[in-house]
Amino acid sequence: MVSNGAGFWTETQQLVRAVGRAMGVTLRNFLRRPITVRYPTVKRVYPDRFRGILALTYDRETGEENCIGCRLCEYICPPQVIKVEMLKAEKRNYAKTFTLELYACEFCELCVQVCPTDAIVMLKSFDLATADRRELLLDKDRLHALGLQFEPSWATGNRLRDMQAPPKPAKAPAAAAPTTEKAAEKA
Amino acid sequence: MTLPPLAVDALVGFIVLNVVIGMVTYVTLLERKFAARMQSRIGPYYVGPHGLLQPIADAIKLMMKEDVVPASADRWVYNLAPIVFLVPCVLIFATLPFAPGLGVADLNIGVLFFLAVSSLEIVGLFMGGWGSNNKYALLSAMRAVNQIISYDLPFVFAAFVPVVLAGSLQMSAIVAAQQGAWLGVVPKWFVFYPVIGQLAFVAFLVATLAAENRVPFDILEAESELVAGFRVEYSGMKFALIQLGEYAHMIGTSFLGALLFLGGWLGPGSDHPLVGALWFLLKAMLVFLIVTWVRWSFVRIRVDQILAISWKLLLPASIILLLASAFWVAARGAHGV
Amino acid sequence: MPETTARNTVEIGYGGSERLTMNMGPQHPSAHGVFRAILTLEGETVVAVDAVIGYLHRCHEKLGEALTYVQYPSIASKTDYVAAMTAELAYVSAVELVGKIDVPRRAQWLRVLAAELQRIASHCLWLGTWCMDMGGALGGGATVFLYAIREREDVLDLFEALTGARLLYGFHQPGGTRYDIPAGWTERCRATLDRVAQRLEEYEAMLENNAFFLVRTQGVGVISRELAQEVGVSGPLLRGSGIAHDLRKAAPYSSYEEFDFRIPVETAGDCYARYRVRMAEFRESITIARQVLDGLPEGPISSRPGVKSVGQVRVAKGEGYGRVEGARGEVGCYLVTDGGPKPYRLKWRGASFSNLAVLPHILPGVKVADVVAIMGSVDPVFGEVDR
Repeated sequence: MVSNGAGFWTETQQLVRAVGRAMGVTLRNFLRRPITVRYPTVKRVYPDRFRGILALTYDRETGEENCIGCRLCEYICPPQVIKVEMLKAEKRNYAKTFTLELYACEFCELCVQVCPTDAIVMLKSFDLATADRRELLLDKDRLHALGLQFEPSWATGNRLRDMQAPPKPAKAPAAAAPTTEKAAEKA
Repeated sequence: MTLPPLAVDALVGFIVLNVVIGMVTYVTLLERKFAARMQSRIGPYYVGPHGLLQPIADAIKLMMKEDVVPASADRWVYNLAPIVFLVPCVLIFATLPFAPGLGVADLNIGVLFFLAVSSLEIVGLFMGGWGSNNKYALLSAMRAVNQIISYDLPFVFAAFVPVVLAGSLQMSAIVAAQQGAWLGVVPKWFVFYPVIGQLAFVAFLVATLAAENRVPFDILEAESELVAGFRVEYSGMKFALIQLGEYAHMIGTSFLGALLFLGGWLGPGSDHPLVGALWFLLKAMLVFLIVTWVRWSFVRIRVDQILAISWKLLLPASIILLLASAFWVAARGAHGV
Repeated sequence: MPETTARNTVEIGYGGSERLTMNMGPQHPSAHGVFRAILTLEGETVVAVDAVIGYLHRCHEKLGEALTYVQYPSIASKTDYVAAMTAELAYVSAVELVGKIDVPRRAQWLRVLAAELQRIASHCLWLGTWCMDMGGALGGGATVFLYAIREREDVLDLFEALTGARLLYGFHQPGGTRYDIPAGWTERCRATLDRVAQRLEEYEAMLENNAFFLVRTQGVGVISRELAQEVGVSGPLLRGSGIAHDLRKAAPYSSYEEFDFRIPVETAGDCYARYRVRMAEFRESITIARQVLDGLPEGPISSRPGVKSVGQVRVAKGEGYGRVEGARGEVGCYLVTDGGPKPYRLKWRGASFSNLAVLPHILPGVKVADVVAIMGSVDPVFGEVDR
């Protein structure tokens, strides 16, 4: 079969050894624990920065909506799935309507990165499968509800921008460079 | 009330047939779990406790599928092929004695009948490939004829080594010749015979792999090229019959291997026929698992390479083994081994 | 290119010399994506091949004109979706070349780390799918596939901790990278690299001296040195045919010149040689990744402020070609800019597109089973081919 000119007995010996080695590998793996995670009874631990479904947030102290309707997310979205209408008010602006077509979303996190008020975030969950595509056209109420339902990812707009920006000139010696692991631990 | 012998035979045959089919469906689950563990995963798990009802679910699914016949297929050939394939594969169990006195028919040419009937499946296989009117199926059927015919010869020769050593074609006589133990410890199974036994067992296993279309010799159903080979146009119950036939043949040759080489139903407590049958089953499963282990460890080889192995390597080797065992038997003379 | 005979089906007669046209069509378990090869067979031998592509065309080059430099890197990863980091790097290198944008040293090292980890993940997928094609989904091939995917999942877990996504990252931006490594990631990465190196030994034990594997791959699909140079293949196909050309050494980018690694080269030109090249590349990538982890410099990860608005990167008028050594070969991006936030024209050089051009030269004369082995060793990804 494999003619490397080594003679019949050497070849047979090589064949037997190779077969034994291959079957030994399979046997060794037979005796290992399977790596299956029995989803959905068992869920694996999602990392901090997991990019899941999108949601809108409320301010933690005042309980107000964070979104100011600035439309930066709408402009940066590559597949243009976000549509926002601004509502002007006295002290600050709001979003009158905010629709996000989750079925076309690429989960690229660019909208999260540009948001100046950390209003839009991604959550540590992707379990939004439905039988009807219209349920994936998320409107503002649904986005706020999702934000309260699942745990948000670590990555918000300000944190992502801080991670990417060059270190600010230190006003005080304690202002550490935001790109090292210490900053990630602090945040 | 005594039944006429014909009725008794028919009843026994019916029982054996059902047991065989039940065993075949659960052997698929065994293979899937075994293969899964070798691949760092768990096999079927959700249907029934640890997947025990999975074969039932598969069978129900296949029965509920639509029976599709391609428009330009040869209807008679296409429809008859699964049956022609299945019948020999199940008929071989008629000649297997599961324990002394427990079996349908213990013919005095048992091994010969088994081997002859089991090679009839090739007819059904080719009928399936031809009747499907599909290039993939036809290519696969052509390869199949080539391969199975080439490997039937070494298969027969390797299976005849125990026949020669035991001096009889009758299956119960072959098992009887393996009774006892050397030094009270090593059982006198033919696989433990120095050199001849082991080589013959290896040759038998390789020929089994090829005759069953198992990897590394499964070129005829190479999923990545021919997408299921001769079975590609079959769905629903006809596909189930073909699967049943394949696995029945697989189990049948495992039983034959256990009988010829591993001592059949011999083992501690084998005087009682049911215990003997249990030992037989365990040994057959061992042969089956070895074949499965090989299947899930290697890539397949091309059809010309398969034929080269058969004609240039396996056939001469098995002929030499048969001659060697014949000389051995002649040399030992009248007293046993 | 050899002439294909008439594409009509011919009846097979007993003579065996009639030709059969068979479609290894876009839906096929081993087509590696959507690829149609119209094979003309004589018995089991392939006589001619007609390759049809375009089933995955998604207008990347037009999208490049419609999206800005800030938005497009997330889309660039979808060309070579199996090795997304190098695809993004090609685009971003082109932008930085034309726009004369510096990249800080830490960002360059992070890019090298991402690219090498991605190469490991991509080669895991290559090994798994190639063995599965040769060994069958119900056979030993699937075993190697599942082992390779198990290793790939570990690397993808690393990427998930780094960026949040497993397959298509959006990691690069013009001027640097978008994410920095989180706490505890370095230890995880080292542990994963050790585990991959150890499991590689297992794969080689299963395949290396295995007679079944060797007869399938040795002497099969030989690309001669002259053919490789003429047709314009790159990557492991080139290095498996004896030409020691790797962009990481020939035209170093992103601080590759600071690392110590070899370029594996084999001369036989067959599938086995390409297999050996890729297995050696596994080990070289592990070496480079370990060097990066040992000496990662401190500093910013981007020379521009973080992404704040869609048009914040403007590149002056000019044109340039940014190239990287992807897992499959040279991935390049030719950019023509006009001073605005979007390019005027973007042209992708996909590695697999040029690699597939070698098929009509090497397929005629081999058996049908070898077609599958050869396609696997060419390792095309059709996102790159069709863009």
